[in-house]
Amino acid sequence: MNNLVRGGVDDVRLVARGWRWGRRPLVPRSAEPYVPVKEQTVFPTAWSRRPAARAVREVVQTAGLAPLFRSQVRPHVEGLDVLDRVEPPVLFVANHASHLDTPLLLCSLPTPWRRTTAVAAAADYFFDTWWRAVGSALAFNTFPIERRGGALSATPGDLLREGWSLVVFPEGTRSSDGWVGTFRGGAARLATEYGVPVVPVVHRGTFAAMPRGQGWPSPGRKPVTVRFGEPLRARDDETASEFGVRIRAAVATLLDEDATTWWEARCRIANETTPDPAGPRVAQWRRVWAQSQSPMSTTRPRAWHPLR
Amino acid sequence: MSRPGFVLEVDDRTPPLVVHEGEGFRLEQFPLGTRVIYAPESLPGIDDVEAVITKALLEPEDSEPLPALLQPGMRLTIAFDDISLPLPPMRGPDVRQRIIEQVLTYAADAGVDDVELISANALHRRLTAAELKAIVGERVFRSFFPQGKLTNHDAEDRANLLHVGLTEDGEDVEINRRAAESDLLVYVNINLVAMDGGHKSVPIGLASYKSLRHHHNSKTMLRSHSFMDHEKSHLHHSAKRMGRMLADHLRIFTIETTLNNDVFPAPYDFLLKREWEWSLRDQATVLGARRALSVAPGKLRHKVFQGLRAPYGVTGVHAGETEAVHAKTLANVHRQQRVDVEGQSDVLVLGVPYLGPYNVNSVMNPILATCMGLGYFFNSYRGSPVVRRGGAVILYHPVEPVFSQLHHPSYVDFFEEVLAESTDPAVIEAKYEEAYATDPWYVHLYRTSHAYHGVHPFYMWYWAAHAMDHVGDVVWVGADRSAVQRMGFRAASTLADALEMVSGTVGRSPSISYLHNPPHLLADVHA
Repeated sequence: MNNLVRGGVDDVRLVARGWRWGRRPLVPRSAEPYVPVKEQTVFPTAWSRRPAARAVREVVQTAGLAPLFRSQVRPHVEGLDVLDRVEPPVLFVANHASHLDTPLLLCSLPTPWRRTTAVAAAADYFFDTWWRAVGSALAFNTFPIERRGGALSATPGDLLREGWSLVVFPEGTRSSDGWVGTFRGGAARLATEYGVPVVPVVHRGTFAAMPRGQGWPSPGRKPVTVRFGEPLRARDDETASEFGVRIRAAVATLLDEDATTWWEARCRIANETTPDPAGPRVAQWRRVWAQSQSPMSTTRPRAWHPLR
Repeated sequence: MSRPGFVLEVDDRTPPLVVHEGEGFRLEQFPLGTRVIYAPESLPGIDDVEAVITKALLEPEDSEPLPALLQPGMRLTIAFDDISLPLPPMRGPDVRQRIIEQVLTYAADAGVDDVELISANALHRRLTAAELKAIVGERVFRSFFPQGKLTNHDAEDRANLLHVGLTEDGEDVEINRRAAESDLLVYVNINLVAMDGGHKSVPIGLASYKSLRHHHNSKTMLRSHSFMDHEKSHLHHSAKRMGRMLADHLRIFTIETTLNNDVFPAPYDFLLKREWEWSLRDQATVLGARRALSVAPGKLRHKVFQGLRAPYGVTGVHAGETEAVHAKTLANVHRQQRVDVEGQSDVLVLGVPYLGPYNVNSVMNPILATCMGLGYFFNSYRGSPVVRRGGAVILYHPVEPVFSQLHHPSYVDFFEEVLAESTDPAVIEAKYEEAYATDPWYVHLYRTSHAYHGVHPFYMWYWAAHAMDHVGDVVWVGADRSAVQRMGFRAASTLADALEMVSGTVGRSPSISYLHNPPHLLADVHA
């Protein structure tokens, strides 16, 4: 009997470890070319924007997510005043370095905005299983988008028409080193096609707090910042790709502003010396090293210098 | 669309992999860098098998259509592969039944009265009535068995053997008299692996010991590299000479079938999947199955495994002239089983499952386990062996010294008497084979009971001759120590121990290849 139990426990441990229970399963590298292509189906998420689901989400976000989030990281929000100068719907276009970005952005938004904001999420990642799809749609109001060459689902346009603001991460995935990657054209295309303003948003410190590959924020309530920038509108003579360049420049300026000051960032725009958000071309470890530093001191700022 | 076979390189993302070991399996964590050879996924089976059979019979390869060969007053014999094929046995209706029923329908329409059916079991055991019925189906069984027209081939019935002649190499061709004296011999085969079929069907399946000894010997096996490659197999060269000679004396209409790789029925079909693609349900099934097997009494475990019936799909049916048919059959087999492998390894790992050709409804004794591992699995290659010359083979099987006195009586004496003297195939062939082959008690049991022929364990040992000659070390994981010692091998408790034991032969960091078999595969090794 003992052998039966012990053998069973050993087997469960072996299978749990081998098949990564509770984590995303991985395919051996040499088997990746043989992974069957999944049929692309658009997971229905309309239900998650109906009154009942919205009520559940309100409870989840306000009573669960926000307190939990604040217990794990120290958020710092700037620039929300821009939302007073714009009418929904808008596109929140942000850099993406961590799974913390979405809750940080949502928890930072004023309540009326938060309740009417949906998040574009990778169909192959957040909608690969029913339970992950239902969970993310319910908690974050996500909707699936194809990021691997598939046709953009009709959902984003429908949502904008219905008055929902959208959060889009134009890099398409989390940064592997914390720096900003290449922007894809989907956000700019949506903005020009539907004539909605783009609100640039930047996050800093989320990579340091919970980088790719980490399932929970690092201990110590690391500081994370989110800054909202001036809304941008596509000009009448501007193509989507040109608008996309402008969006990226706005994100770069906003990152500079968050790292320094508004005045210094403005001066650097005038001098055309705004730092490239893609980061310096140095050894990969140095790029990671730089981004793994939290954006400000982890100690609470003091009103008075301690007595010396 | 079925995915092709491929070679996995074990990395940090690779979960433990299934390794068969007799009536059970284990989950083994292989060292990083181990190459694991996976068979192609199962090909889709043919939807309308009856229509494909009809087409094959009416539009045969290099032959007149079957109905044109059938006339009133003729002697028609239908021979078919015995219970050693396929493995595991096929879920009914057996494809042989479906073919035989169509052949008999044409024969009845043509007014052929003199029809007999023969199970081509060579020196294998006689099939029971139930086993014959499972192969040919109830209609055929009821029509022929009570009249004595559905029989097992008897290789010791001198009155019913006919010495047809000698090949150009002086090999005796002696086969079943009824088959040899028929106006038409229809042979129905299941070509499970590349070794089967072609000229191996009639000249071997219906032969006597006198004829078989020309190719079933240690020398021929040693030079067959491999016997899964009919172009390089001396066994097949000999069979071809005999088959061509027979074709000059006898009208043979060959019907060959190929199956896909659906060898395990639900809920055991997780054994056919690539492990990293197991669903939660598959993982739960594995855990449940392993616990159940660990507490199940041996008899129950045996019954469960032997009761498995594979839901095979038929991938091809071809009929007509033997060589023309076999070329198409082999293409189908290769389509299902061939995997390209670059280079050889220092160590070959093999998991020997519960079943081989000679223990259907029986026990896999140590000789059969050796034959399965070092014979069939080791030889599952084309080009070069998966393991380099002088390398090591690590096998998984309990190798319990348990024998079926009903089916394998001569194996007991072979194990206790012959292997105690020598394990060298050439030595035991010269010293003991004749005595076992002609022993009256073994002949009596072969003819009247359900025993394999007295010489059969020798043949099993010869199957492994090429492997034993090629590699420097053989270690069995989880095996009975005394049993493997008797056979000249060594036993280890774990893979790590086995690798430690063979380190003297292959070094401390050998390259390792694991043949993930079953399902059946054929490694095409480009050395």
